[in-house]
Amino acid sequence: MESFDGIYLDLSQEPGKCRFAENGFGWKPSAGETYTLDAGNIAGAQWSRAAKGYEVKILHRDSSVIQLDGFAQEDFDRLSKIFKNWYNTNLDHKEHALRGWNWGKGEFGKAELAFNVQNRPAFEIPYSEILNTNLAGKNEVAVEFIMPTTGETGTKENLGGARGKGKKTGAGKDQLVEMRFYIPGLASVTKDEPGSEEEGEA
Amino acid sequence: DQSGIMVKKFKRFESYKREQQFPSRVKDLAIVMDQKNSTIVLPIMGRPVPFHIQTIKNASKSDEGDFSYLRINFLSPGQGVGRKDDQPFEDVSAHFVRSLTFRSHDGERFQDISNQIANMKKDAVKREQEKKEMED
Repeated sequence: MESFDGIYLDLSQEPGKCRFAENGFGWKPSAGETYTLDAGNIAGAQWSRAAKGYEVKILHRDSSVIQLDGFAQEDFDRLSKIFKNWYNTNLDHKEHALRGWNWGKGEFGKAELAFNVQNRPAFEIPYSEILNTNLAGKNEVAVEFIMPTTGETGTKENLGGARGKGKKTGAGKDQLVEMRFYIPGLASVTKDEPGSEEEGEA
Repeated sequence: DQSGIMVKKFKRFESYKREQQFPSRVKDLAIVMDQKNSTIVLPIMGRPVPFHIQTIKNASKSDEGDFSYLRINFLSPGQGVGRKDDQPFEDVSAHFVRSLTFRSHDGERFQDISNQIANMKKDAVKREQEKKEMED
C-alpha cells in the first residue's frame, strides 16, 4: 500500500488521501465516501504539471479521464513504480507547452481533444465536457462547454466536490464557457487561387 | 532544429521555460495576470495555460444575468482585410485559438483583468516599437 496526502480528485474543492494498492486505488476526502477504481480499468496514465501541483491523469478503459492533482515533483519515481509494478502501465511524463503561443494543432485522442504547440500539449479538453460545437464562421469552430447549474457544487457532495464527467468547467471561480478555433482549409478554397479568400470575405 | 530561423524570430514570445515559473496563484483555478512575464495564465480543465500578451488581440467584459463574461480574443489569420499586419504568423496552416470566454460572479475582477490586459498590450506594443526604432 502506498499513500499520498493532499490530493485533489477531478478538481475537487477538498483535498483527500490517495491510496494505491495492487488491486487498484482509492481517494478519500476528510469526510464522506471513498472513490475507488479497480486496476483492471486503468488503460493508461500520464504525469504532468497541473494547478495544485503535479497531476496523475488516468485514462479509464471506458475512455474517460480521472485527474489526481497535488502530487510533489519528487513523487514521480514512487508513482512510476506503482503503475509499472501493479498496473502494468507506464506513467508517461507529458511535458506541456509553456511558450504561451495560441497556434498549434488540435489532435483528437481517445478521451480528449489536445491542442499541441510544437508537439507538446498546451491543454486538453475531455469530450465529456463539451456541450456543443458549431461552425461559427468561415474557418471558425466554436466549442461550448457544459456549465454547472446554480448552487451545484460538484458531481457528488460526498466526494469532496469532485467534478466528474461534464462538471469540470465549474471547478473554479472563473469558468470557461466557450472556446473558438481558427481552422484553415474548412472553406473550399484551393491553394492556387491567391486572393480568393479575400473575395469570399467581402 | 530544422526551423532554427523561425524559432529565433519568435523567441520573444516565450512565456515560460520551466514549469516552476508559474505564479503560485495558479492553484486557485482562476485567471492570473503575470506582469513580469507579459503573460496571462488561464485555467482550462484544471490546468494553468499561459498565453503571451503578444498573442492577444483584445479583451472585453460584459454582463448577463447573474454573471459577468470576459472574452479574450487572440490574433489569428483572416481577421479582416487590409488590417495593418503587426503580427507575422509563423505558420498560417496551423490551428489557432481564436477566443476564450470565461464567466464569473465577480464582475469587478473581470473589469480589472480586462483593463490589465489592455495596459499590458499597450506596453508590449510600445516596447516593440522602441525595439524596432533601435534596429532601424
